[in-house]
Amino acid sequence: MVARCATIARMSTTAPTRERTEQQDDVTEPDVPWVVIVWNDPVNLMSYVVFVLQKLFGYDREKATRLMLDVHHKGKAVVSSGPREKAEFDVYRLHGHGLWATMQKDR
Amino acid sequence: MAGSFKRVGNDRVRVRLANDEVAVLRGLPDQLRTVLGEGEDEPVNRRLFPPAYLDVADIEHDAEYHRLMHDDLVSEKLANLDLVTDTLARGTSSVRRWTVELTEEEATAWLGVLNDLRLALGVRLDITEDFDGEVDDTDPRAPAFRLLSYLGWLEEQLLDALQS
Repeated sequence: MVARCATIARMSTTAPTRERTEQQDDVTEPDVPWVVIVWNDPVNLMSYVVFVLQKLFGYDREKATRLMLDVHHKGKAVVSSGPREKAEFDVYRLHGHGLWATMQKDR
Repeated sequence: MAGSFKRVGNDRVRVRLANDEVAVLRGLPDQLRTVLGEGEDEPVNRRLFPPAYLDVADIEHDAEYHRLMHDDLVSEKLANLDLVTDTLARGTSSVRRWTVELTEEEATAWLGVLNDLRLALGVRLDITEDFDGEVDDTDPRAPAFRLLSYLGWLEEQLLDALQS
């Protein structure tokens, strides 16, 4: 639910039309960096989210805590970025740890 | 009351629980196994295995992600459940207390299972951001809320032990 609302807000400001977006994908895919986003959820413990971000990405406690607080207060945070394959691997590991993660092009 | 989890040595975590706590925990892995086998549209499974791609334009990528990764994610969760079940069977009981020593791998599996169980309960109880943790004792969902709270208390202690 949170993700859906944010998509609408994002598309209204940045994406011209869906058709055009799809056409662009074919041409620009290799060059466009992707971002991995963790979304707020009402069940995961704050301490658990910090633990997972440290474990998966090697962030120090301060950075992991800052990202967790962004997730908690702003509803989401970008936790990593890179080529599509790397982003997908990060999403996979986050899903394996029960975090609500998605990825999208960094437009 | 002494902590439920304590690091002993470099790579062991000792679990100490009351016998009635262990009895509750022993009933949980099979419930999660059942849910994991119930198909991708089951609400708990939708939460445990969410989409990877957000944009509508990436729907084909998401289908591919799901096709390639979903079985691995399920296998990891089942492997964690097996480790937890094994250790719950391995521990020893005295008159009131039950104790077991976990390897780092087993302790990590416990953390994953505790978290998956809480996510599953959260879906079942339809918990939202507004939930303040207070439930009337007469509410039929009260036992499940108490279980969620208990598992969260255990998970916090295990996180502390793993990071000590």
